[in-house]
Order: sequence, then structure tokens, then C-alpha cells
Amino acid sequence: MSADLAVRTEDLGMVYPGGVRALSGVDLEVREGEFLAILGLSGSGKSTLLRCMNRLIDPTEGRVWIFGEEITAASGGSLRRLRRQVAMIFQQFNLVRRQTVLTNVLSGALGRSRLLPSLVLSFAQSERERAVASLGRVGLDDRAGSRADALSGGQQQRVAVARALMQEPRLILADEPVASLDPALRHSVMRHIEALNREEGLTVICSLHDIDLVERYATRLVALRDGKVAWGGRPEEFDRDTFREIYGEEAEPTSNSGF
Amino acid sequence: MGDGREITPGAVGWRKNLSRLQAVGIDAALITMLILMGELLVVAFSGRRGDTGLLLSAEQILDLLHYAWALFAGLGLALVWNLFYRLLGASPGRALVSGVPEWERDLEWTHTLRGWFVAVFIELTFFAGWLITELQLVTFLTKFGKAADIVRGLMHPSSSVLHEGLVLLVQTIFLAFMATAFAIPVAFVLAFPSARNLTRGSAVARLAYIVSRTLMNFVRAVEPLVWALIFITWVGIGPFAGVLALWVHSVAALTKLYSEQIESIDTGPMDAITATGASTLQVLRYGVVPQVIPPFLSFTIYRWDINVRMSTIIGFVGGGGIGYILKPRVDLGEWGEVGTLVLLIAGTVWMMDIISAKIRERIV
Ligand SMILES: Nc1ncnc2c1ncn2[C@@H]1O[C@H](COP(=O)(O)OP(=O)(O)OP(=O)(O)O)[C@@H](O)[C@H]1O
Ligand SMILES: [Mg+2]
Repeated sequence: MSADLAVRTEDLGMVYPGGVRALSGVDLEVREGEFLAILGLSGSGKSTLLRCMNRLIDPTEGRVWIFGEEITAASGGSLRRLRRQVAMIFQQFNLVRRQTVLTNVLSGALGRSRLLPSLVLSFAQSERERAVASLGRVGLDDRAGSRADALSGGQQQRVAVARALMQEPRLILADEPVASLDPALRHSVMRHIEALNREEGLTVICSLHDIDLVERYATRLVALRDGKVAWGGRPEEFDRDTFREIYGEEAEPTSNSGF
Repeated sequence: MGDGREITPGAVGWRKNLSRLQAVGIDAALITMLILMGELLVVAFSGRRGDTGLLLSAEQILDLLHYAWALFAGLGLALVWNLFYRLLGASPGRALVSGVPEWERDLEWTHTLRGWFVAVFIELTFFAGWLITELQLVTFLTKFGKAADIVRGLMHPSSSVLHEGLVLLVQTIFLAFMATAFAIPVAFVLAFPSARNLTRGSAVARLAYIVSRTLMNFVRAVEPLVWALIFITWVGIGPFAGVLALWVHSVAALTKLYSEQIESIDTGPMDAITATGASTLQVLRYGVVPQVIPPFLSFTIYRWDINVRMSTIIGFVGGGGIGYILKPRVDLGEWGEVGTLVLLIAGTVWMMDIISAKIRERIV
């Protein structure tokens, strides 16, 4: 396989314990430096696909490689080492609400921290400086001491971006990062993710609800339907007719409320 | 969609048979109980007298009943009812296991055999319960005189035990405190393997869950009073035995409360921390612990409060604290002194209640 692939999946499939099939036969190749958008209706398997990539859930079929190493075959220490290269951003931010913004950002460094000091929340000075710098990049260095749940939704998601940055990853998986934000705030978060892609050269795989956002930020698009890849190509080629073809007459592409 | 969802015809037949069996079992149990309660009432009201010439006591009657026959008849009737359910209407067991059938849904209870069965059953339960527990309303209403002495004593506390009482009250509070404090670390550690959501990962984790849950359920099922008796024979009479008894019970109680709290956490932060490549301990430390600390504190303070109350009872059997001097005074009928001690306990419990409520309000 070629060395510059960030992610490769082969015949990836997932059947949840209750018997619900969420993915089947997904073959994907994501090159380093791409900004890949994953589009799909609710329940089409976007979250499942992203979570299989860093093994937050274990796929029931197929294999996944991260930067050429097979993560589906890894376990224990080698799985954690692979995960360190893959940061994740969630729709619900998933910050630890009762902790400070700074601690939340510092937790991005856990994968490379020594175990015992990290258990008493003690981090090297260099890591603290890096955390403050990461917060600076998303414009929140003045809120380092606040409790995470004291921030607005858009600010919390920027903290999550800073946490991802803190991890020093090579790949970012973002699962509908702006779906629970005010439409007006969406670009403020998306632009930070875009900056990581353009300026740092990080690969981004981002599931999105919204065609306008896909066209504005993504370099490539994959559309899922019923757990299968239904369409793949450049975002510009994905027009309303293609959309209807894939999702049927009922579904209507919209620009801010999702479909 | 998933093939895993389909159920093979064989499995359906198997399930159906199982639920039929369950229905017959439930019916058999209910009918047997009905028969036995009926027999109990008949014997009780027949005016039969025992060897001593007195009316039979409830225990004696219970001893006389024909259990085997009743069970036999119960089983038979249950079978008949379930076989001819179209004719007789669904039996209680059938209705419980597979739901009330369509055609009976709109019927009044008086129009079904099941309705009458349940009504008679409930009626008989009250009659039989009345007899078995030997309720005596007349005595309750007419013989208040003796108890009035106690109430009078309680209303006129004597100051002779005030000093001793206060000293032992301090011991009681500290006894409860030590038991609670020592229980915290043990319960904290045990709470993680006792939480369902953290133990799905591997066979080892599931085993740890089963072991710790079973153990804690057992420990909790044994009354603190029994633990006190065990520890009194182990370390001797005194407050230390009380501390140990309350400690064991608190560990089990706190483990349950803590683990339920862990089970109700938001798993989002755990996912986020796992995704950074953190190890299991780090995930627990960052993704779980911050979410559960405030409720843990609140439970623990409440537990201390409960332990203060319990330690009085523990003292009764020799576990130290204020209960220890209360027992002989109850036995001797020194109601004035009992009154003093009861007031001391009530005051403490009341204050603990207020303080712990205030603290818990602050935390959550
Ligand atoms: N933990 C789970 N257990 C069982 N079924 C699940 C689980 N998570 C998801 N599913 C099912 O798998 C399918 C795909 O879900 P998934 O969350 O991946 O979709 P999605 O595209 O992310 O949807 P959304 O836009 O609503 O987030 C759905 O049918 C869903 O009901
Ligand atoms: Mg999703």
C-alpha cells in the first residue's frame, strides 16, 4: 500500500449487539492532507464509521489502517500509540464539565504523559505552556482558569479543538463538530479546523449535515446511505440532483438546519 | 437490515413453551396460596382448641395446614385453567406472562374469573394476615395504661445520666465518623468493578463485576446488628466492634451508591479521553472521577448521618456509644433516664440531619 495514506478501510462492517447493521462493505482511502467530508442522513452510519477508525468501537467486519499500521489488529500499548496520532472532535464537545478549561486541554497530552504524575493532574511546565498556546490559537487563552461548563457551546467546541491540537495528531476525526451550534457560530469552529488542515497539514475527516459547509471546507466528499458508500467525489460535483438521487425525493438539502 | 435480528421458528416454539410453563407455575403458586389461606380461616373460625384447652395460636394453625395437598390441588387447577383458558378466560399467570388477551381487554373485572380470583385473593390475604400477625385491635385501644408510664418518664427526663450520656454521645458520633471514613477508600475502589458500564470490556472485567456485586449484596443483606454480634465476639465488647460493624455495612452501602452513580455518568468525556490514547487508569481519572466526586461526597455525608442513628442500636448489643447505657435502663424501666438519652440522640440526629442537608446542598 502507498505510504501517504492517512486512513484505509477494507470491507469495513459493523453490526451492533442488538442486531442493527450500521455499516457494510466500506472501502475508503484517505490521503494525507485531505479534508474529507462524510455526508449522510441521520442513522446512515457516519458516527459509527468515524468511531471504527480509532476503535472507540470495534468493527465486526473488515480492517482499518492508520498511517499504514493496522489499528484493527492493535491492542494495549500499540493501540494507544496509534490513537495518539488521531484526535477526535465530537458533536457534544465531550469536555469534562467540572474541570477547568486548561485541564481539559492538558488531557489531550495524556497519551504521552507519565502515568503516575498524570493521575494527580501534574503536567510538565512545557506541556502547560503548550496548552496555553493551543488555547491561544482558538482565542480562548483568557479563559484557561474557567470551568468548562461556564463556557458557551461555541467556546466549548473551540476548547475541544485546542484539546485536539494539544494531542499533536496527524489526523483529526470530527463527528458533526458544529451540528449543535448556532448557525452563526459554525464558521468560527469550522475555520479553526480548516486552519489545522491548511496550515499544519493535518488530515481531517469530518462528518457534516450541511451541504454548504461541505462545499466551503472539504476537498473531497463521501456520501453514506444505510451504512454503505453511495457516492464519492469532489464537493462541487455533488449537486441537488445527485442529492435527490441518493436520498430520495423526500429529503431536501438545506443550508443551516440539516436535513 | 441485520440477519442477526431474525428469530428461527424453533426459538419461537421454545420461548412459547417457556412462557406457558411460567404461567402455570405462577398460577399454581397463587392457587395454592389461596387454598392455604382458605384452610387457615376455616381452622381459625372452627373454634378448635389445642391440647391445653386454649384456642389455637396462629403458629399452631400454620403448623396444621395441609401443604402438600394444597400444592397438589393448586398445580392441578392451574393446569386445568391454562388448558381451558379459552373457556375460563386467561389465568392470572397467563395474563402476567403474555399480557391480557385481546378479547378480554374491555371486560369489567367482575365479568372474568381472573377478576374474581384476584379480588378473593386480596381479601383473603388481609384476613389471613390479620390472624397470622395476631392483630388485636381491642387490646391496642384499651391497654394504654402501662405504656403511659413510659411516655410520662420520657416527658420528665432525669438529669442523673446527662453527664454520662453526653460523653457517650461524643463516642457515638466519632464511632460513626470512623466507620464512614474507613469505608470511603474501600468503597471507592470497589465501586469501579461494580459498575456495569465499565465492566463490559473483557471477560476479566465481567467476572470482577459479578464477584464484587455478589459479595456486596451479601454483605448488605446481613443486618449491621448481626455484624456487631460477629465483631463483638471477635474484638470484644466496646466501640471498636461497633466501628467494624458499621464499617462493613457502610462499605457495602457506599459501594452500591457509588457504582450506581458511575453507571449514570455521561460517557462522552470517557470517549474523548480514550481517543487521546490515554490508558484505562487515565480514562477513569479524567473521564469518570471528576463527574462522580460531588455526588460521592454527598452520599458519604448522608451515610455518616445514617451511621450515627445506627450506632445507637449497635450500642444496644454492646457495640459502644450511647446505646450501650440505654439498654440496661430500658430493661430496668428507668424511664426518666431513658428519656434523657432518647432526647440526646434525637437532638443529635436532628442536628446531623440539618448539617448534612446543608452541606449536600452546597456540593451538588
Ligand atoms: N450503540 C448502538 N447500539 C445499537 N445500535 C446503534 C448504536 N449506535 C448506533 N446504532 C445504530 O446504527 C445506525 C447508524 O448510527 P450512527 O450513529 O452511526 O449514524 P449517524 O449517521 O452518525 O447518525 P446521526 O446523524 O443521527 O448522528 C443507526 O441505525 C443507529 O440506530
Ligand atoms: Mg452521529
